[in-house]
Amino acid sequence: MIATIGHLFLSAAFLASIAAMILYAVASVKESKRAETVSNWLWGAKGFFLTISSAVLLYLIMTHQFQYYYVWNYTSLDLETKYLFSAFYGGQEGSFMLWILISFIVGLGLMKWTRKPYKAPVLFVMALTQFFLLSMVVGWDLGFTQIGASPFRTIADEMPNAPFIVANPDFVPADGTGLNDLLKSPWMMIHPPIIFLGFSMMTVPFAFAIASLWTKTYHEWIRPALPWTLAANLSLLTAIFLGGYWAYETLSFGGYWAWDPVENASLVPWLIGTAGIHAMIIQQKSSRAHKASLFFAILAYVSIIYQTFLTRSGILADQSVHSFVDLGLYGQLLAFIVAMVIMGIGFYLYRYKEIPSPKDESKFLSREFMTFTGSILLFILGFVIILGTSSPVIGKLFVSNPTPPEIQFYNDWSMPIAIIMALATVIGQSLFWQKHTWESLAGEMIYPLLLTSVATVLSIILGDVRSLYYMIYIFAAWFAVIGNGIILIQLLRKNPKLIGGALTHVGFGALLLGIIASSVYTEPLLDRQTADYNRRILAGEVFDEEGFPVTQRVEMFKLDINRPMLVNEKYMVTYEGFSLSDSPRPGQQNYLLKFEPIDDSAPFYMEPEVYPMLTSSTRDNIDWSVDPHVRTGLASDIYLYVAGSRYVERQNEELEARNSTGSSATNDSDPDSDLQTIEISMGETIEAGPFSFTFIDFIPASEEVVPENTQIGVRALLRVEHEPSGNAFEIEPLFAVYTENEQSYVYSPPLDIEQWEMSVLFTRIHPESDSIELSVYGLDEEFEEDWVLVVAEVKPFVSIVWLGTFLLMIGFSVSILRHWKREKDTKELR
Amino acid sequence: MKPKIIIGVISIVAFTSLLMYNFGNSISTYVNFEEAESRSVSHVIGTWDDSEAHGFSMETMQFSFYMIDQAGNSRRVVYSRPKPNNFEQATQLVVIGEMRNNVFHAHEMLMKCPSKYNENPEFELADS
Repeated sequence: MIATIGHLFLSAAFLASIAAMILYAVASVKESKRAETVSNWLWGAKGFFLTISSAVLLYLIMTHQFQYYYVWNYTSLDLETKYLFSAFYGGQEGSFMLWILISFIVGLGLMKWTRKPYKAPVLFVMALTQFFLLSMVVGWDLGFTQIGASPFRTIADEMPNAPFIVANPDFVPADGTGLNDLLKSPWMMIHPPIIFLGFSMMTVPFAFAIASLWTKTYHEWIRPALPWTLAANLSLLTAIFLGGYWAYETLSFGGYWAWDPVENASLVPWLIGTAGIHAMIIQQKSSRAHKASLFFAILAYVSIIYQTFLTRSGILADQSVHSFVDLGLYGQLLAFIVAMVIMGIGFYLYRYKEIPSPKDESKFLSREFMTFTGSILLFILGFVIILGTSSPVIGKLFVSNPTPPEIQFYNDWSMPIAIIMALATVIGQSLFWQKHTWESLAGEMIYPLLLTSVATVLSIILGDVRSLYYMIYIFAAWFAVIGNGIILIQLLRKNPKLIGGALTHVGFGALLLGIIASSVYTEPLLDRQTADYNRRILAGEVFDEEGFPVTQRVEMFKLDINRPMLVNEKYMVTYEGFSLSDSPRPGQQNYLLKFEPIDDSAPFYMEPEVYPMLTSSTRDNIDWSVDPHVRTGLASDIYLYVAGSRYVERQNEELEARNSTGSSATNDSDPDSDLQTIEISMGETIEAGPFSFTFIDFIPASEEVVPENTQIGVRALLRVEHEPSGNAFEIEPLFAVYTENEQSYVYSPPLDIEQWEMSVLFTRIHPESDSIELSVYGLDEEFEEDWVLVVAEVKPFVSIVWLGTFLLMIGFSVSILRHWKREKDTKELR
Repeated sequence: MKPKIIIGVISIVAFTSLLMYNFGNSISTYVNFEEAESRSVSHVIGTWDDSEAHGFSMETMQFSFYMIDQAGNSRRVVYSRPKPNNFEQATQLVVIGEMRNNVFHAHEMLMKCPSKYNENPEFELADS
């Protein structure tokens, strides 16, 4: 019932967006103030309907109404409230709704702040994009075709032919399938809203570009559009950072970036948006590059829609680690991208001849030329990445069933481009603030080059850099940091409000340094034996059972409990055991590993976790998932996860045994089955499985522990050793004979050795042979002590990657404030 | 004006051809296990064959399992890293590596993400 309300309001929002779109078009063409006012109201009404509809969806999620497919598919009863809230945008439909909601709010901002003549056309474009986005979720069944997938559809709507629905159309599941455990992270809660904020704000420069083409005012649009573009870029950058940080902390691939299509989907609009910012700045400063700033403003949004199309249409299904579910929106998404391309690029080409172009060429050594170079380089990089991401489409030109390009493709192209960019930033920034001839520029560059050379040589020596290519890269990156850093200091003295650009360029250089240090110079942590083995693999001395040389290095090592192991000649690592916990995830194991640096600095603990992934585990099969521990440091991070453990192996074995026998448990059928008796005389050592028992001596038992009327009370001093590990315990089990009601009884309380799950009883004395009898429960012939398999890496200077990102963010923020203030001042002047 | 345009066009053409050439080389085509026999590095798509044994061996430090490719061939796959996360829940696997003596030595594995969509979901019955 309540879902019907949600669905109706969603439909109302859709209709309102169509009406608003038409009226904004009328307002733009006829310049009618009244039409504009009405459409503003329609815009508001749409937002109101949408908010109600979203509230309904949220209500259904919060009240666990599992008859609705979306609720069932993305939530469960045990989900914490904050994740129930974020489940709202956990799926494809909800994330579209979030996107629409945020761009509705952006639209309100535009309504308030946009001047004539742009207001109506800009809002028309916004309404048009809202129309397309709303069509993805409106869920109208027109008989011959379906428009969008509604988040309010029931399980019966989704799977009308499923047997349980045929049997009982009102079927309600008891619990939902739940949220993927990997996504239960605070980072993943805030990541989607920020990325959609970026997407929504990136619509604004697109809308202004169209408005400018429409009204044929090619210059003025830059001022209001620039702060929005900067803000969109800041959001995308923040979202990319959050995604990277989450991947690094949560996933087991051990990095923050993998050139995955979904990651590229947010990077490419960022690159093209940044290209647009460069072009807009030239246009603002020097009345040039009108064509470029229009082009990039259009392209940035088109690239968002294109990447949305790639990731949401199911095209990338084979290629991405996390592409979205295919909702059958292929046609609608295609229509969206085609409409945006025609409206953007088509309109642009139509007006191309009228767009002003500079009379004279800019000189090579001018800020215009250099800034424009930056713009083009960013665009080229974005283009390369789009090409790689599009391999399922474009790759068909080469092969019939294309795979994604190797990671090497992205690295091979982005590295030289990054080098040129880094060098260009310094020259560009110098020319930006001061006119130069070749001579004066050369003079200006002396100090930066000197300092850069020193820093580069130091980095090469300290980092043991062997490759010439990397040396050049490191030089370029240091040059960007130092050259822009000097400009930054000069600007700070003059006018701190102007530092935005210099700060972003310093951040870019730092980012490049961090990227190379943390990716190329990552080292696995290994014990000596494994390291030797890898050396032999490298030398081609290791062969597998079929006689082929082994080429894959082993990048993990095994730790037995309480046996310290020297790792990388740097740390003594001891596995100290694990504890089971049900919080936050049921059945998770918290492992404890102690790291003692051999240079006597303070020891520390690493606490990786392993847990059963509930959303994908079944009764017959547990899907174990790892949660790595990252120890962050200024100079280097230690990244570590447990890839296997005795506990997990045992759980799997038990499960397998249960599956094959069909009974619920195997070992409780006969409690005596694991009883073993050992006869042992004084001084003797007897081996049983991996254990050895040594009877050292008798010791008298004290009065208070034996029962009343005891005739004999004695303890045996025993040493029990686990031979493979050398761990040993000394125990003193008690033997007593007492009388009660004139009957003799034996009293032999069990002594537990918890670590080995064993208990020992002293059950008899043989006076004639001077030997005793021990009963041992839980003595496992195949017993092995607790162990873990560890994958660990040392990653130098990940901190610098984050530092570079933060500097970029701060730089963008400074620029936003500056350009926003300027735009506001202009408005007040009018 | 003219020479500039010519240089521009030439450099764009050169850049694009180099890029496309490199792109063409860096992508490959998906094959099945039989076709992989005669190639050095192959990408094979398939699904986990859970009727056969699988697991990580502490002796060889390898994860091994059987995979059925899209042509229906089942082969043993060894991977010299721990079992990847999401292995069991993957609806599809992509292994990248080489075929030797009927065993596929994967140096990279991709799991197709847990598609949330499930044709025949297992429901637990609701309490009435």
